[in-house]
Amino acid sequence: MKYYLYWGCSLEGTGANFLLSLRPACEALGMEFEEIEDWNCCGASVSYAGASDLAIKVLNARNLALAEAKANYDIVAPCSSCYIQMIKVNHEIKEDPAVLTQVNECLAEGGLNYKGTIKVRHIQDVLYNDVGVDKIRERVTNPLSGLKVAGYVGCQSVRPYGEYDSTVKPIVQDRLLEALGAEAVPFPKKMLCCGSGIFLPEMDYCLELVKTILEDALSHGAKMVSTVCPMCAMNLEMYQDRINKKYGTQLDVPIVYLTQLMAAAFGMDLKRDAALNRNVIPPEGILKEAIG
Amino acid sequence: MAAYEPSFAQEVFGNVDFGEEIKMCMQCGVCAGSCPLRDHMDYPPRQIFSLIRAGKREEVLTSQSIMLCTSCYTCVVKCPRNIPVMDVMHGLAHYALKQGYVPRKETANFGREFWNQVYKLGRIDEKDLPRRVFFADGLVSGIKSTMNFMDVGIRLLLHGRMKLLPEKKIKGIQSLRKMLDKAEKMAKGGAAA
Repeated sequence: MKYYLYWGCSLEGTGANFLLSLRPACEALGMEFEEIEDWNCCGASVSYAGASDLAIKVLNARNLALAEAKANYDIVAPCSSCYIQMIKVNHEIKEDPAVLTQVNECLAEGGLNYKGTIKVRHIQDVLYNDVGVDKIRERVTNPLSGLKVAGYVGCQSVRPYGEYDSTVKPIVQDRLLEALGAEAVPFPKKMLCCGSGIFLPEMDYCLELVKTILEDALSHGAKMVSTVCPMCAMNLEMYQDRINKKYGTQLDVPIVYLTQLMAAAFGMDLKRDAALNRNVIPPEGILKEAIG
Repeated sequence: MAAYEPSFAQEVFGNVDFGEEIKMCMQCGVCAGSCPLRDHMDYPPRQIFSLIRAGKREEVLTSQSIMLCTSCYTCVVKCPRNIPVMDVMHGLAHYALKQGYVPRKETANFGREFWNQVYKLGRIDEKDLPRRVFFADGLVSGIKSTMNFMDVGIRLLLHGRMKLLPEKKIKGIQSLRKMLDKAEKMAKGGAAA
């Protein structure tokens, strides 16, 4: 099972614990990764302020074309924004072939061409559909028994196309958590947006969103919240003290990447492989209770 | 109830990315109902589309809501007429900025700096981007914003979640820029006004 891994800008910085845990956890399941050489940023969700829609498409098509020129592996994009930006290009090309002609006219300026053959997949998609929950369950040596986790799906990991999960009632992350032995608690706000890319400039409004999400998870019994997106992780984890100050709440909920839980349940090193020491709100205590 | 006044609608169809999509709008309001930031919008998307049809150019291009989008795609999923509402709002915000309007100053600064970095490096430097955004309004407010976010930055740094070295340009930056320049020339509404 060989894939391109397009980890994007955040996973080298604020989302480092995602990439650090993703590699060993996925490689333990037989996945192999190759980098897209000289990849560029996907433009995320705020580039529209400075760029036309076509420029953003071309930006993403460059990565797709670079990948396509070398091999036809699927691209795994762990960051939801990277995922959606790339998959959007593929969808729009499929709907309207004229888009591909336009995109290629621009790519030609740099000697590139995209045929439209590369599939872009979310990490949850690959784990659920290529690896499968049975194989994941088999690999678990330290089940997360009794650990109540709120699987926060957020937005761009499934919306709008619903390639591998429902856009209304997603189940994939919960099934993956259960395969690790954890208890996935249902919570209605699992798809409410955290503020995503405009969290920083619109913080007043976005703090309210995060408060709503975390309080919902807690009121349904969750001891920690899992995510598969570096923006969700950042927004949910880093501003809990501000929310407490503003609203008089007492939030102190660990936010972990699904892949960190995988590494822990696979019995891997909690620091080197699960990168738990990179979390600002420490999850080790609660996690160690579960894995014993 | 304003009468139809097609000149601004024509302008939108011709120059705004995804602008023609609003022709499909039946004013049901599901987009507004599904939006996480609806409570903070002056005009929710449904009303924006209605204002466009009524020719209310100033109201639309100065509206806060066209830049209050978190890009969560909920409206896109929920619209019964399959309008990519989010993309229309992004298109309108892009067009408004090009025309010299600034619907949300902070978000506009953030988005523009984000794109400037993509164009300059081909990647995002997570340290440099907030710095540029904070200081976009001068030294005093820059220092204030920096102090305000110092705690977040320090905690990220201490937890190994901040790249220490400055982000380098990608190798193909020159050719990437050529591609992007070409795209801007070919984009809807033509080269930047």
